[in-house]
Amino acid sequence: MNEQERQAAFDRYNERTHAIGRVVSVATLILLVGAPFALGAILGAMPDVGAVARSFLSVGLVWMVSGVAEYLIYTPMLGAGGGYLAFITGNLINMKIPCAISARDMVGAKTGTAENEVISTLSIAASSLVTILVLALGVLLLVPLQPILQSEALQPAFANVVPALFGAMAYKYFRGNMKIAITPLAVMSLLFVLVPSLTGSTSFMIIPSGAMAIAITWFLYRYERKSSDT
Amino acid sequence: MTILSQLNSPPVYAVCGGIVAFVAAVCVVFLVRAWRAGVALGMDKAKMRRVITSSVTFTVLPSVGILLGVIALSGSLGTPWPWLRLSVVGALHYETQVAQAAAEQVGMSALSAAEMTPRAFTTIALLMSVCIMWGMLLSTLFSKRYLKKLGGGGSSGGGAAGFGDRAMTAMFIGLICAYLGSYIGTFVSGGSFPFNGDWSPLAVAGVSALTMAGCVYLSEKKGLAWVESFSIAGSMLVGMAAAVLLRLWA
Repeated sequence: MNEQERQAAFDRYNERTHAIGRVVSVATLILLVGAPFALGAILGAMPDVGAVARSFLSVGLVWMVSGVAEYLIYTPMLGAGGGYLAFITGNLINMKIPCAISARDMVGAKTGTAENEVISTLSIAASSLVTILVLALGVLLLVPLQPILQSEALQPAFANVVPALFGAMAYKYFRGNMKIAITPLAVMSLLFVLVPSLTGSTSFMIIPSGAMAIAITWFLYRYERKSSDT
Repeated sequence: MTILSQLNSPPVYAVCGGIVAFVAAVCVVFLVRAWRAGVALGMDKAKMRRVITSSVTFTVLPSVGILLGVIALSGSLGTPWPWLRLSVVGALHYETQVAQAAAEQVGMSALSAAEMTPRAFTTIALLMSVCIMWGMLLSTLFSKRYLKKLGGGGSSGGGAAGFGDRAMTAMFIGLICAYLGSYIGTFVSGGSFPFNGDWSPLAVAGVSALTMAGCVYLSEKKGLAWVESFSIAGSMLVGMAAAVLLRLWA
């Protein structure tokens, strides 16, 4: 297969990924929004749509802003197939994003390439299937597992899944990029020290922190290009 | 019949289980298509296998953490609904917050089985679905154009992607910085005195980072390439074990 044929094959794959992605996203949306009504029919009590509308105005708008920001930031990282899947299966920040980024770096795939598209989709699909399987097994074995998982001794372990994840990722990503990491880390630490209540909004603080890291990367990139030109 | 036995009844399991099965099938379809596309593009199968192995091992521990979220919510919402929400679309930090807020909006003082009614449940369930549908909705409407605009249509050559690639890594570094900053802030200002807050997230992150350093040393300096596939899962496991030991020691 020559380069032209490879590109044509990949374009066909990408087109079809968007088509399938759109269909399954709409189907999942209908199923998820329809499920409370189906359950309402079973339980004999339909949802109070007025209360949902009022609640949406008080809590939903915040999540809408967060959802839009997540979409804009993470879609370029995940590509087409990975993006559709990740938004369907959820748990982006604490699982899918680190998983896909780590897989991409493991094989050295570049953003926006066919290889990255394939790797990202493989990674997120495998990760999503594992979560579905673990939860299904957990629900099936809920009675014997519950005392173990909820035992007092193991609670600190499960309360620290995210710090354990980001500690490992920090070493992996900071060691070659200290120039990029040091400023956002210092600024974020200072902000959280001065305004402790911000810890409840960490997912929102990713936006300024990421913007800072991207700006520093941009300056370093420009500097390197200038140096290589002269 | 109590509310929990209604919420845990076989028809409720059938509705929620059916949706989970649908999403699992979608994942299989995407996995198989991506594998075939990779093979057609001439990608190394061993590389693709490593990606799958590493993603599987990476996901197991956080999934057990999510299972705890299912258990936590099952006391008030029954088991099938939290199982569905956390298997599909949901996020651990999100579901608990929205369920709690929704419970307050329907007049409950707290999210509990004692106050739950079938109508309150279906209302909470609908709000949980509506509040977090934006990623899916935006993907459906804009992803094709958005990725095209960013030039992410995918060049099959796999050449250098310039600044875009670095920007994605930088965004991820920013994400890590925000979380580590929050652990430092929690430790320094979280308690009633300076440096008296909860230090366990910071210590766990430190232990996990050290373990990762060990894994990198083994894979890069000692030639044990297989360690890389398990490095994140292994580092997380050691970090989480450290959290248990720190609690016993503190």
